[in-house]
Amino acid sequence: MTRCLDEATLQSYFDGELSAQLMERASSHLAGCVTCAAAAREIAEETALLTSALEAEFEVSVPTQAVRERIDAAVLGVRVANVERTEKAGFFAAFANVFSFNSQRNLGYASLVVVLAFGAILGIVKYRQAKVTPQTTNHTDNIQAAAPSDLNKSKTVEVADNRNQSVVPDRRPVVPQQVKYSPRPATSKVVPVKNDTLRLLPGERSYLQAIARLDTTINSNKKAMRPSLQVEYERNLAVVDRAIAATRNAAKSNPNDPDAADFMFAAYQSKVDLLNTIADARLSGGRSH
Amino acid sequence: MNGQARALIESMPNDIGTEAVAPLSFDEAFTLHHRAVFRTARAVVRDSALAEDVTQEVFLRLYRNLHATPGEDLLRAWLLRVTLNVARNTLRGQNRSMVRDNEYQKTWTENGSVAAEAPAEDYERRMAIEEARRALDKIKEPMRSCLLLKQQGLSYREIAISLSLKETNIGSLVARGRKEFARVYGKIGGRR
Repeated sequence: MTRCLDEATLQSYFDGELSAQLMERASSHLAGCVTCAAAAREIAEETALLTSALEAEFEVSVPTQAVRERIDAAVLGVRVANVERTEKAGFFAAFANVFSFNSQRNLGYASLVVVLAFGAILGIVKYRQAKVTPQTTNHTDNIQAAAPSDLNKSKTVEVADNRNQSVVPDRRPVVPQQVKYSPRPATSKVVPVKNDTLRLLPGERSYLQAIARLDTTINSNKKAMRPSLQVEYERNLAVVDRAIAATRNAAKSNPNDPDAADFMFAAYQSKVDLLNTIADARLSGGRSH
Repeated sequence: MNGQARALIESMPNDIGTEAVAPLSFDEAFTLHHRAVFRTARAVVRDSALAEDVTQEVFLRLYRNLHATPGEDLLRAWLLRVTLNVARNTLRGQNRSMVRDNEYQKTWTENGSVAAEAPAEDYERRMAIEEARRALDKIKEPMRSCLLLKQQGLSYREIAISLSLKETNIGSLVARGRKEFARVYGKIGGRR
């Protein structure tokens, strides 16, 4: 005799939920087991009671037609809502499709990117040119405006160089065309000789021209000068130049003092005399050679 | 089929529930299972109007999830599981109203949906329903739901799916629920 069936197995047997093998085994056991057979009868009675108790509950007629109409209406509402949502989504989907990629669109987007890139580069170049052009114009204007001053400056430097060279024994003659001469009254401010801008004092020009001519004459025959005479000439010339510089500074410092101008002219005259002497000596010496 | 084409097809009139749903169409599902859904809902919410609301919501969910619902063999279990959830949620927001249910039954009867019953029979029937409900109220879950579903003809497997239980436990739960119901129902004065 097999073991008695438990409550769950007996209920499953009663509900037909056991496998065929278990159903057969339970059935054979119930045929020979009074206890399990009594339990099976109890299950049948209680199940009948349950069914009858819930019969009223489950026998209530189901309003099939009313429920179906409500559900159809609700489903239709869902469809309308879906269509409206689809239409709204369609508007945005039109934009969304723009961002969906396929092979043809990839090519189009690539072309668009290239065009935009070139456009951006050209735009940057144009913008930079627009910024640079005014500066170039100004620069040109500056150059044009600066040109005269530069020219004046170059002339001034050249004159100063000449002045410096005049101190050197091997001097070149002062070129009158390069000298910027502006006759001014004695009361005008006189720029020092060593300044960049050479401002000649009244009466100074004639002396300078005379000195230049004598210098040219002397230098033309310089090789013929005797060394002893050459040394003495250089020494005297240095003394005279220092005297000219001193008296000229005095004349510029005291423009209203006629004595100062006279001393300067006297110094110039001394140089002219010296140069004349040298020139005469060289001419006589040259003849003597 | 893209979304627009599907929406266009769905927007066509007079085809409600006729879409082919493998393996059961919406219309077939309603025809086969709406009674079980309504009765289960009514057993929980104890109100016919609320049971209609629950039934409508259950089949709307079926309609929205036609592509995700199980096959024919398990569709009833899926529907009753949804039914129990919707009915319990509905019950949380509603007070039981026998008055409303009575008014519903009265209106429903006047509309000719149900054959007119004799007043005495109607009273006996409502008393029987009340006694059974009072007995069921004494039974704890999930045994109560097991009994409700079992009495509607669901298999153990379907019950297990509907209540998210193990199938091997259903026999024991049904047995315990049945015994408890018989005990409580006898005390209440049922027909034992």
